[in-house]
Amino acid sequence: MNGRPRRYAGSERPAASPGGALGHHYSLPLAETPGLRHAGAAADARRRRTAGSTRRLPGYVAGYLFVAPAVLYLVLTAVYPVATVVAMGLQDVTAGRWHFVGAAHYAAVLRDPIFWNAVWNTSIFTVASVVLQLTVGLGFALLLHETWFHRGVRNTMRGALILPWVFSTAAAALMWSLLYDPYGLFNYLAVGVLHWSQPIAWLGDARLALGAIIAVNTWKSYPFYMVALLGALQNILPELYDAAKVDGAGPWQRFVSVTLPQLRTVLVAISTVDLITTFGHVDLVNMLTQGGPGRATETVAFYVYRTALLDGNLTKGAATSTIMLALLVLGTQAYLRALARRGEPSW
Amino acid sequence: MVTAPPRRRLRVIGHHAWLVGLTSLAAGVILVPVAWMVSASVRPIREVLTYPPVLIPKTVSGEYMARILHDPAYQRFFANSIVLSVGALALSLTLGALAGYGFSRFRLPGGQAMLLGILSVLMLPRVTLIVPYFRLAHVVGLYDTLPGLIVANTAFLLPIATWLIKGYLDSIPQELDEAAMVDGCTRVQSLHKVVAPLAVPGLVGVAAFIFIGAWNEYLLAVVLTETPRSQTLTVGLASFFGQYVRDWNGIMALSTLASVPLVAIFVFLQRWVVQGMSAGAVK
Repeated sequence: MNGRPRRYAGSERPAASPGGALGHHYSLPLAETPGLRHAGAAADARRRRTAGSTRRLPGYVAGYLFVAPAVLYLVLTAVYPVATVVAMGLQDVTAGRWHFVGAAHYAAVLRDPIFWNAVWNTSIFTVASVVLQLTVGLGFALLLHETWFHRGVRNTMRGALILPWVFSTAAAALMWSLLYDPYGLFNYLAVGVLHWSQPIAWLGDARLALGAIIAVNTWKSYPFYMVALLGALQNILPELYDAAKVDGAGPWQRFVSVTLPQLRTVLVAISTVDLITTFGHVDLVNMLTQGGPGRATETVAFYVYRTALLDGNLTKGAATSTIMLALLVLGTQAYLRALARRGEPSW
Repeated sequence: MVTAPPRRRLRVIGHHAWLVGLTSLAAGVILVPVAWMVSASVRPIREVLTYPPVLIPKTVSGEYMARILHDPAYQRFFANSIVLSVGALALSLTLGALAGYGFSRFRLPGGQAMLLGILSVLMLPRVTLIVPYFRLAHVVGLYDTLPGLIVANTAFLLPIATWLIKGYLDSIPQELDEAAMVDGCTRVQSLHKVVAPLAVPGLVGVAAFIFIGAWNEYLLAVVLTETPRSQTLTVGLASFFGQYVRDWNGIMALSTLASVPLVAIFVFLQRWVVQGMSAGAVK
């Protein structure tokens, strides 16, 4: 990014839909690419193309050949397994033989208070994580979006603030369990500095454990918001701020009436994606608490994992997976509908 | 700024000082867990887990890292992670580049539906597929093997690769490759000589993104493997949580070493990784 003013990495236009946000078009600095020498021929080519393309095979035959391997791969490794998950949930295994049991597993799961406890924990985990990540990510994005006197310093800061995203959940869980240790940094601050009477079992106390996991998850995932929002901030037209200034709006008013509405589309898109990912998150729960103490941190995703693999009940696990997918679709729909403005299609 | 009156200049300097100070403070706090991990990997754990923690290390030693690096069991984790990441990278980048090109350059009947289908796979929580994967892996004989892990990981990395590459190719004007074809290139030649060279920066970013994703993957690895023969670094790291006597120094050294490749990739390719992040949905 040397010497190219106002083009930070990730400064793509805000997308018009969640789909668009995922399939962002990168803006390529064409002026610097070697292919430019062809560009003169472009208009020419467009004119000649109409004549030329009719002579070729129907274009889409070749096109299907290009996309076929990936599509087939995903049909085999994703679509087919999803279909089997629904079917597996309707069966049971006795002595190695699969047989049909109808909705028995589904009924058992839906009657299980432990499952509803998991739904409750998942709601807290998901909502708290998303809100915290959004707040922290937006705060840092605003800081990085300020006018910096030196590009390099700003990019170094950006790099440092993205860094948590680079580590694996395993490494993050280890780092934080070192901090949560009875003799770790947090308990030193509590006991040594604040003079609390005894160290706190951050992960061992049913009232704190979920919060302790949310903290790790937020730390690990806010950079996703930060980077996306930074890109979106850079696409807000400066004229909008100038107009607001002329109208006498202070910094806070400019933030509320210019920045936030302009970020809306991106915020909806990334928070939806994040809701879905957070809802399905297993790693930290499995590593840090295994759902404990008691069932205080057992989420729906961990319920699936525990039922299927730790308790070894694959078919009940499959039924729970199906229920989980249904909850996910319903939850996403409800979220998007709640956010949709009148006259706008809800995705 | 040179011509600014002194008062204004003071304000500008004040603004910058405030900005740098606040951001440095934030970055400092954010990086505490990382600093603690690194510090616990090079000095006796009693200096870290104590009241108050010793801030300036009294002894710094590479013995913990050396012990990890010389232990064949840990070397195996590293080798497995490398095989998995490179394999998943090659597979998803190849299929993703072909599909991205197809979706970007052809008007395919049903293409939009296929893209949306790929997007739904991207959104699919991995945990909902562990049951069929666990069973299928046994059926096809890929349970507890690295090829099995590569296949499963690619299912979740290929959608993001396809979307990112399609998006990147869309930003390269189609007129360029069409001009080449009009001038007598075949489609394959235009792909090879015009589109591919222009797409390299985008592909590098996608590759970095996918490599990080595969290297850090935990759930599929813990579900689809059971012996160190095919277990990856993340599983090795997580096994620490099941230990009764915790070797903090060893595990922090392993954790630091396991993170080195990623931090290196990130530092050298920051710009492209950031582009992938802001465009992508994968964390």
